[in-house]
Order: sequence, then C-alpha cells, then structure tokens
Amino acid sequence: MEILIIGGGPGGYVAAIRAAQLGAKVTLVEKKYIGGTCLNVGCIPTKVLLNTVDLYDTLIKDGSTLGLEYNELSVNWLKLQERKKNIVSNLVGGVEKLLEANQVKVLRGTGKLIGNHTAEVSLIDGSVEEVTFDRAILATGSKATIVPIPGIENENILTSDEILSLKKLPKSLCIVGGGVIGSEFASVFSRLGVDVTIVEMLPRIVATMDQSLTDFLDYSLKESGVETKTETKVVKFDASEDSVAIHVESSEGKSVINAEKVLLSIGRRPIVKNLGLETLGIQEEHGIVINERMETSVEDIYAVGDCTGGVMLAHVASAQGIAAVENIMHMNAKMDFKTIPYCVYTKPELASVGMTEKEAKEKNIDYKVGSFPLSSSGKAMILNETEGLVKFIVDKNTEEILGMHMVGPKATELIVEGALALRLEATVDEIVTTIHAHPTVSESVQEAAHDVFNQAIHLMY
Amino acid sequence: MGQLIVMPKLGLTMTKGNLVKWFKAEGDEIKKGESIFSVETDKLTNDIEAPCSGILRKIIVESGTREVLEPVGIIADADEDLSDLLAKASNTSESKENSQASHDKEKKEESKEQKPVKQKGRVKASPKAKKLAKDEGVNIRLVEGTGPSGVIGEEDVLKYIEEQSKTDESKVKTSPTADKVADNLGVDINKISKDDRVMKDDVIEYWNFERVQEMASPKESVKEMSTMRQVIANRMHASQQVTASVHYNLSVDTTEMQNLRKQLKAFYKVTYTDILVKILSKILLEYPELNASIDGEKIITRNYVNIGVAVAKPDGLIVPVVKYANVKGIKNISKEIKSLAKKARSNALQPDEMTGGTFTISNLGMYGMESFTPIINHPEVAILGINTIKDVAHNVDGELKFKPMMTLSLTADHRVVDGSKAAEFLNRLKEYIENPSILLL
Repeated sequence: MEILIIGGGPGGYVAAIRAAQLGAKVTLVEKKYIGGTCLNVGCIPTKVLLNTVDLYDTLIKDGSTLGLEYNELSVNWLKLQERKKNIVSNLVGGVEKLLEANQVKVLRGTGKLIGNHTAEVSLIDGSVEEVTFDRAILATGSKATIVPIPGIENENILTSDEILSLKKLPKSLCIVGGGVIGSEFASVFSRLGVDVTIVEMLPRIVATMDQSLTDFLDYSLKESGVETKTETKVVKFDASEDSVAIHVESSEGKSVINAEKVLLSIGRRPIVKNLGLETLGIQEEHGIVINERMETSVEDIYAVGDCTGGVMLAHVASAQGIAAVENIMHMNAKMDFKTIPYCVYTKPELASVGMTEKEAKEKNIDYKVGSFPLSSSGKAMILNETEGLVKFIVDKNTEEILGMHMVGPKATELIVEGALALRLEATVDEIVTTIHAHPTVSESVQEAAHDVFNQAIHLMY
Repeated sequence: MGQLIVMPKLGLTMTKGNLVKWFKAEGDEIKKGESIFSVETDKLTNDIEAPCSGILRKIIVESGTREVLEPVGIIADADEDLSDLLAKASNTSESKENSQASHDKEKKEESKEQKPVKQKGRVKASPKAKKLAKDEGVNIRLVEGTGPSGVIGEEDVLKYIEEQSKTDESKVKTSPTADKVADNLGVDINKISKDDRVMKDDVIEYWNFERVQEMASPKESVKEMSTMRQVIANRMHASQQVTASVHYNLSVDTTEMQNLRKQLKAFYKVTYTDILVKILSKILLEYPELNASIDGEKIITRNYVNIGVAVAKPDGLIVPVVKYANVKGIKNISKEIKSLAKKARSNALQPDEMTGGTFTISNLGMYGMESFTPIINHPEVAILGINTIKDVAHNVDGELKFKPMMTLSLTADHRVVDGSKAAEFLNRLKEYIENPSILLL
C-alpha cells in the first residue's frame, strides 16, 4: 500500500507515522514546516509565551503573598522569543527524526492531485516530481481568515502568525475576535502590561463554551485590564505608520479605538486551493467534505484536519489522521467526536468535553448538574488559584456523564478524566468511586461528581 | 503465529451462521483482508476476510451451520506446529456441539480442573453436606469448609453451587451507562452479543429490535407440500437447472386481433388465448426449433403442435394440453380450452390431457402484468407469456395516436433456439397478431 499525504501538520505527520507502523509505504509532502501550524505558529509557541507570562504575572501579583521577594523583575521579550524558537525547532527536529525512523519519504514542496492515483509535487528547488499512490490523504490545514474590512491591508494589522514573532511588545493591542485564539493572546499581552481591547461580535467571548466557565475568564481578563466590547463589529481601519484607529459600531453607537497593533482572530479558513480538488471532482463546501471514515467524495482520496472545515483542533486532526490510515489499512476506524476536549490556555485555564448545559437544554435532555468551586480546594489554595470550578452535566435517568467543564489551574490537563468518562460511557458513580489523590486539584473533579447528588464532602448543603 | 479462524458474529443478534463455501483450499497462501469464505445468515451472505496473513493450514468446517465463534479453520505459518490450536479448536467445538446441560457440566468440570484441589486426604464434612454434594455432582474437595476446624457444612456446599452457577453465566463487557439503560428498559444485557464492549446505543438498538419483534409477534407455520406443489416445485426447479433460458419481449398492436374477436362474437365467443393458440399452432410449424425437445444430444422436432395452456387453480398451476392444435379451427380450440380449464378446476383432468405438450402459453394479462419471464415447461424448449393490453401513445405521421398494445414475453432454451431465431419467431407472431387475416391464407 502506497500512501501519499499532503501536509505535514498534526493531521498529516501523525497519519504518516501510523501508516508506516501498519506497513504502508508513505510519502509526505510539506511546503513549509513539518509540524504545521500547531508546532510552528500555533499551539506550541503560544503556550511557551503563556508559560512565561504565567510565572511573571504570578510573581508580580502574588509574589509577596507566596513569600517571594525580588529586587527587580522584567520580561526579556527577545530571550523569550529565542526560547520559543528553540522549543519549536527541538520539536520539529524530533518529528523529522521520527518520520525518518519510520522511513517516511518527505518531499519539500507543494502537492497537487492530477489524477485519481497521481499527484504532482512542485519541490522547493523548482523541480517537479510526479508521485503515484494507492491512497492519498489531504491534510493541508487552515489559515487565518481575513475579511474585507476597509483599511485591513496594513502592516500593523496582524494575524496570529505574525504577532508571535513581534520584535518588541506593542504599547496597545486591539484584538478583533474574542474566540479561543483572541482570548489567549489577550491573556498573554495584558499580563505583560500591554493595553488590550477585545472586539467581539457575539454577546460573550469564547461563546462555544459553557457560560459558567467564560464568566471566570471575563472577570480575570477585566482584572488584567482588558477592555471587552461585545456585540460590537469593526467598520473600518484607519492606519497610520505607528498606530491604527479601529472604527467600531454597536447598539450603543459608533466609536473609535486606537491601538499600536491589531490582531485579527476571527477564525480560520480551510486551505483547499490549488490542490487539484476540481480536477478530480472532490466535493468541497466550507472545507473538503468527508464522511465518518474520512473518505472524500472521490474514491481512494481521504482528508483530515482543518482542511475539512470541521473542528479545527490539532488533536482532532491527529485522531482523524489515524482513523483515515486505519480505514485505508482495513481496520475500520471511526471517530468518536463526543470525546474531543476543548481547551483555552488563558489564566485561569478553561477546558471542556461533551455537552454544555445550554446544549443539554436545547436537546431537551433531562439533566442534572454537579459542581464544585475551587475556592473549597486545598490544592487550589496552595497554588493561590482559587478562581474556578468543576462542573458535570449528567443524564438524570441513567446518570451518564454527558459533559465535564472546568475552569482553574491545570484544567486543560484534568479534562481528560471527563473525556475518558465519556469514552467509556461512565456514570457519576464511576467518578465518585474512583479514588482521587490528595492533595490535588483533581479532588475537585470527584467532589463535583458527588455534588450531583448534593453529597460533596466539602460543601455545606 | 497461528490463529484459529472462527464463525464471525455479523450482527448483534446473530447466534449461528452457515458456512457456504471456502474460496481457499488448504495450503493456500492467505493475505490479511482477503476474502476466505462466505457465510450465510437468514438475512444475507457475507464474504469473510482473513484476520491475518499466513497459510490456510486446516479447514475444520468444510460447510454447514455453526455457532458464532466456533472455529472453522486455521491460518498459520507453513511449518508451524498446529497441535495446540487443533486441541483448542476441538475443545471449543465439542463443547458447543453438546447439549446445554452437558455443556454446563463440562464447564463445571473444566473449572474444577483449573482450581487447585484445596484439600487432600480425608475430607471433613457433615453427612448432610456429603449427600448434597453427591446429589448435585459437586466435588466436595473443592468446597471450602467454614464450620469448626474447617468442617464442610450443608450451607458451604450450597454456597459453592451458587457461586459456580454465577460464574457459568455468560458475562458481557458493558459500559456503566449501558448497564443502567438496560436496567431501565428491562433488557437482559447478557443477551446482546458483541465482540467489544456493549455501549448504550447497542442496548437501545437491541431494545428496539425486541419491541419490533414483540409488535410483529413473528410466527412461522410448517406444513407438508401437497403432491401438486411438489410436482410444481420439482418441475420448475428442474427446468431452471437444465435449460439455458433467454427472455425476449416484444410489444404488438392488438387492434386487428380485437376486431377479429368482435367480428367472431356474432358467431362464437373466443378469447385472446384461443386466437393466440390458433396462431401459434400455425407458425410453430414454420419454426420447428421452438416446438422441439432435447433428448440427450438429439433434437426432436414434430409436424404437429400440442399447446399447453397454463391454468391457475387455488392450490397450484396445471397445464392441460390442446392436442394437434395445428389441425383444429378456432372454434374447436376455444371449446377444448374451455372444457379443459373447467375440468382442471374440478380436478377432473385425465393424465392424458396433461401430457404431450410441445409448447406452452401462459396468460397473466387479466392480472394487469406488463411483462414477466415464464419458466419453460421442460422438456419443451419455449414458453410464451401473454400480458395485459394497454393503450400506448404512438407518433403516427406527427400525431399522437393511442394503440392497444400488448407485450409478448417469450422464454426460449438457447440450447436449441438461438436469439435470432427467437426474435424472428416473435416477429412472425407479431405479424399474425397485427394481421390475423393471414390465417385465411
């Protein structure tokens, strides 16, 4: 079995390694960087920044509370940039070695399908190579959406790609789009002393998540000095050399925000151009159309990850990549979308898996809620991060866990317990009867489960 | 490493499958994912893929019905020792073949063997316990005594029996929610068979199936075939086995045939069948291949035409024969068909009146059929199906005109009748039907 994979991000490279493990001969085409957006300009680099910001912010705000004293503390932005670069190149190098060890043939260039079993790769050196394959997996990813707002073409108006490698911190930043990416950058820059304004069209930021989580985020962003303008939209940009006037409009009328830089984080768009989709007649509608086996409308061509326009998360792309390969290798794999964890790396962290309370209501499910505030958690107190909670959405009849939502320290790490519960169709009882270590934040997960029956040990009813 | 190939479980409710045939022979090389045999359930036939690569070393079940998960073959390396796998295979299949009672017993014995014998030498047990153990077929050495200094009491034996019966129950892996849902719906979750964990949706699906089954309350009744039914069954089946049937359809304009019938009505009332029998008896002499039989490697042709006319009776089909139709006029033919049909319906046909046919006609026009594929009444070599008459729009010189059209459905045995011959025959028939006055020539 010869498999061609176009795109070396978390969808493509994971698929390549899995395919090699299963004995396929794999060719991977990547035009820019192995690891894709995730490793190079997405998940990894942003979290490097966040980590340092977290430490800095904790020392500045809570240093004396924690018993720490220092004479002078400042952020060395350039050094931080360098650390980011090192971690990224380390990880990319690691993936390249893994690909090599798995005997994946990597072609540096742009791939395009020219037949049902042939592709043309325009290599970086200018030459063109024709590749034949039995099956192809498209994993071309996505890029930041840019909408035609007047004045948008200006070098002070950035996407997440560019803002990551700013030479120096701006004085002020206006973030257009208060989704996950926008909120994370707001959390980073505001805590570094940058004046941040978020402009969001919807009534609240990170609107896809349970509101009891985003309320905490709202509060903490406000505390860090972020101004959030919801139900507001940008009419036009008036850019000069060193600042941008952002004209916005809301029910309260028109106003102007002035900022040194603007970050556009209004979403991401699948990369589907020049892939040969039209030549082969592969169906595309807000992304390449696939079925639950990751098959496109054309036989032997599969697609995974952001380019399919679904849930644009690295771990989803990887899971889809594995599912696509396993289907190709006759293992009949399906994706279980209900166990996808959603994480927001702000301070506090937000994490969520399964149904939100709003979804349960909309689906007319008879549900119960259990929740536990971190203000009652010993470990949260030790961490000095008591802002947060754990919340379970549970089916009233069967006590099946339908969703877990958490805000607080390590929420993004702890959410996996909920994902596993969903995967196994666990009921509240399994969480309650699993012993959670003390002292940990994870105890609060168990307590929230207890709370479904109003029986949390550390709450008064 | 060698692997036992088992009867697959193809659905939640499948308990048995019929191995129809192997696509591979012993000694063949098998690639993982290749189809190796086919299995038939009451619903469908599936080609089963090899779970691993290797050599098909042994076919344990050549064909026939087996319980799911019962071994049917072994895939292993060419020089691998199969004795372990064969022993495993015979264990599983033997225990499955035995009746449930002995099956349980055997399982108990197995578990007894596996457990270390707890007591050696003299067994300390109360007489009641010993008697109970003997009656229940329990090896008392395996029972743990809880009495003073380890004496086995009656209750110990009872407890042991209870525990054993618990472990004998087939346990399926389930998700906690599936358990609760099963409990809420009153589904016995152990009845759901699945290779991996039973999840919530499996329980709901099974419950739905049970409810549908309850609503349908399916019943099958069995009764012996009547002799007549047996004859029909055997003859139809035999015909399909022997003949090389080809089906031909041709639509004909019946305007003139209808006129003929109207004109004759004043003198004698005839049916379309009567007219068609008359026409057929004439042109079959022109096409002796369609009026023939095969005897070994010889073809028998005739200078006469005996036409069988299929008659439907409540309990089956019968085909009385109009003998020597080629020398009879329409009136005689009509009279004879009427009388034969009447006799047929009152079971008064003589054997002689049902044999000797050289060609058969079967009319389903009164049921509105537009086309069908009749089965040749072997050893004849052709049969003509008559269909309903329908007004069909035709383009006549740029104008839409309706004509009463009827489709002729001919089935002919290609061993004697080639396609071109059959087509010529049908066209000749069309010519007669559309211009019945040729009969006068």
